[in-house]
Amino acid sequence: MNTAARCLFVLLLAVALPAAAQNKILHITFQAAETGFDPVRVHDYYSGHVLEAVYDTLLSYDYLARPAKVVAGAAAMPEISADGKTYTFRIKKGITFTDDPAFKGKKRELTAQDFAYSIRRFFDPKNRSPYAFLFTGKIVGLDEFSARAKAGAKFDYDSPVAGLQTPDRYTLVIRLTQPDRDLPYVLAFPVTSAVAREVIEAYGEESPSHPVGTGPFYLKRYVRSSKIVLAANPGYRGKVWDFDPGDNPRFKQIAERMQGKRLPAIDGVEISIMEETQSRWLAFQRGETDIEYQLWEVAPTFMTDDGRLKPEFVRRGIQIDRTVDPEITYLYFNMQDKVGDTPNPFAGFTKERIALRRAVAMSYNIDDQIRIIRKGQAVRAQYPIPPGVVGHDPKYVSSIPYDPRAANALLERYSYKKGPDGYRRQPNGDALVLRYYSTPTERDRQFDELFKRGLDAIGIRLEIVKDRFPEMLKMEKQCRTMVRHAAWIADWPDGDNFMQLLYGPNTYESNNACYKSPEYDKRYTRSRTLPPGPERDRLYHEMTRIMETDTVWFLADSRIRNALQQPNVVGFTKHPVLHAEWLYLDLDPKPQY
Amino acid sequence: MLAYTLRRLWQFIPTLGGVVLLVFFVFNFVGGDPAYLLAGKIPNPETIANIRKQLGVDEPYAVQLWIFVKQILSGDFGASWSTNERVSTIFATRLGPSLTVLIPLLMISTILGMAAAMLVAYVRGSLTDRAVMVACTVAQSVSILVYILVFQYVFAYQLGWFPVQGWGVAFMDNLLRYSVLAIIVGVAVSLAPDIRLYRTFFLDEINQDYVRTARAKGMSETRIMWVHVLRNAAIPIVTNILLQLPGLLAGSFLIERFFGIPGIGREVILAVERSDFPIIKAVTVYVAIATMVVNLAADLLYKAIDPRVQLK
Repeated sequence: MNTAARCLFVLLLAVALPAAAQNKILHITFQAAETGFDPVRVHDYYSGHVLEAVYDTLLSYDYLARPAKVVAGAAAMPEISADGKTYTFRIKKGITFTDDPAFKGKKRELTAQDFAYSIRRFFDPKNRSPYAFLFTGKIVGLDEFSARAKAGAKFDYDSPVAGLQTPDRYTLVIRLTQPDRDLPYVLAFPVTSAVAREVIEAYGEESPSHPVGTGPFYLKRYVRSSKIVLAANPGYRGKVWDFDPGDNPRFKQIAERMQGKRLPAIDGVEISIMEETQSRWLAFQRGETDIEYQLWEVAPTFMTDDGRLKPEFVRRGIQIDRTVDPEITYLYFNMQDKVGDTPNPFAGFTKERIALRRAVAMSYNIDDQIRIIRKGQAVRAQYPIPPGVVGHDPKYVSSIPYDPRAANALLERYSYKKGPDGYRRQPNGDALVLRYYSTPTERDRQFDELFKRGLDAIGIRLEIVKDRFPEMLKMEKQCRTMVRHAAWIADWPDGDNFMQLLYGPNTYESNNACYKSPEYDKRYTRSRTLPPGPERDRLYHEMTRIMETDTVWFLADSRIRNALQQPNVVGFTKHPVLHAEWLYLDLDPKPQY
Repeated sequence: MLAYTLRRLWQFIPTLGGVVLLVFFVFNFVGGDPAYLLAGKIPNPETIANIRKQLGVDEPYAVQLWIFVKQILSGDFGASWSTNERVSTIFATRLGPSLTVLIPLLMISTILGMAAAMLVAYVRGSLTDRAVMVACTVAQSVSILVYILVFQYVFAYQLGWFPVQGWGVAFMDNLLRYSVLAIIVGVAVSLAPDIRLYRTFFLDEINQDYVRTARAKGMSETRIMWVHVLRNAAIPIVTNILLQLPGLLAGSFLIERFFGIPGIGREVILAVERSDFPIIKAVTVYVAIATMVVNLAADLLYKAIDPRVQLK
């Protein structure tokens, strides 16, 4: 090597080494393509991750508190009036949006007006916001404002709304029509993030591709459905990692390594959209990605039967964070007398109908579902409120066991006799057919088979109705599905988010069973007025027993999330509600393992 | 030839009309209501009604059909219902990645396929011919999914020759780094059917009188095969290649999904999953037009390749 070449080599090394040392980029994947990053328009799970990274919400969550706890975000914790109807938020001063041509070269500070504007946007018909329900009927004057726009009037963002006041630049006052204990959770939800009106007006219909926020990261490069590159926001307001780990040993380890670090500790996040499990799994094993937690199908490859990481992965320094998702899966019965124009033999509150539903519930082997379909990566759901959510009761045991023998006896007792074909008939002699709705996917086919096996054991004929997911949703929301598997993941970590799924007035919205029980509804209405605590928990217990007695649902499972991390990832734990924990972690360039 | 071309172009109109009606019928009566997908976790009837109004799917079918026709005439299919991205932008940005994979794939598989087919046609009936045909039959009966899984596992994961998936910014980076394994899979999948098909084309030609005459006149085998047989067999081969093109563009979704290539095929699947009618409409119409144009181009090429061909 001649002298010139040596000099060039040394020069290149000098330039490259510090760059590499500073370049802490987290590589992760999304399992499905995003739809865009305009908060009010987002209607998919993955886009929510980017919202959380790019924007600020009024409130946020404590990274380590379990069950999840709301803390200050872009605003301090609100002052709440004695009647619980007025929330006053003080926005922190000096928070600025990342630079954008829409600001015409000036620094743009976040103000209370930005939050008021962002809330109004949910009701602009042009935005077709799927999350308008978060504020519907809640803020004084907002529904009337929205109704005028829907009637054809121009949506006037400048006209006043009584329940959304900004008395000064940094104060937002929200007046509610009635007390609502969920409001802090709603205002920690990423879709309620603040956007700048200039940006939205500048980009118009293209706003989903131009997220401009005040959060810890900004969008650096974006190839739709393929690559999302975020870079640390240099003007971020300077959050410092400071969370109480409590008694949790893993959280203590995290706190030891992260305490006092200025956030974000990483320089950026590179997100690849990888729909296929094999691609994600191989990419992780090759070190192309740093965190991977959507690997249910291949879990037996890296997990032992007792739920630990296999030794060969431990030796490579791979870390695992294992949490139960704040979700439930369940099978519901439509409680309306007719499904479409057809009489529904599974609906009603007579003893024989309840016995019929109970027998079906007792024929379904949830342990098999967990073992075969979930590959062991789920826990049985006993209670409608899952772990990690306020109101969950780990001691509660469902009163609906798996017991096909007892199910058969129950059907015999209530005169559901078997015909010559081996299948049972209704007590009046009419045919008895359970119409079960599912989508034509491989995963649903497994559910179909498991369900059929259970029903065959008790002699109930099953008819599987297959349709595409959008059509299935439509039928469900019109109370036209007789029986279907469903799932619900927490929007916020409070039991109310789950108990509302059986509230009568929510029929045609979230109450897919179209269940109307005066006893349940009475207790639910009362629970809405109570803070989390023993009295509300008692009501939730009673409501759960009412649901079980009527056998409207039978609960199946909550999935376990195994988040695998490369040895260089520091400080990661899956938060039950936060989508993107990227703000709170670091990457160690020289991991020890 | 001009009269022929104009007549064929005129025939495009009823064909396209049929495609439009079919797509419209399938989407509206089988495709599912997109409003329920877009309405989120807790939709209420009012939200659903507003979404339907904003999307225009609450209009009478005749009005919706007329809007569709106007979109075709103007070439403006509006914006995606899911992402709000203009359909024209979607095509402009997704076409490049698809072609980065498909053009080399088609070129390599055609060259290899033709060379192998000519070789086995030349030694027809021999052990080599039979062995290649058996191998082709086996290879053809293996699903593309198996090729992808195995190649990705062996070449990307075990040997580490290529990244498992990904897509960059620079064209050369994409072509030489991210596309290579996808192209290899594509070639492996298409080679077997190509060899079998092209072999029959070559055999047809080898048995022609002009080949026997050329041999009788003492012409070398190389010249007979590479000049005369290849030229005459080229007509059906060109037809086959051109007809594959539009379908390949939209049908390469598996390769694009597994290798993370942001192409048209992947976008089509996303659109179907999301009931995103503007994209489905545009893809269907463009593929139909491309198929018709390619058909016409193939016919015109016949004339260029073989002057004896009469276009009527």
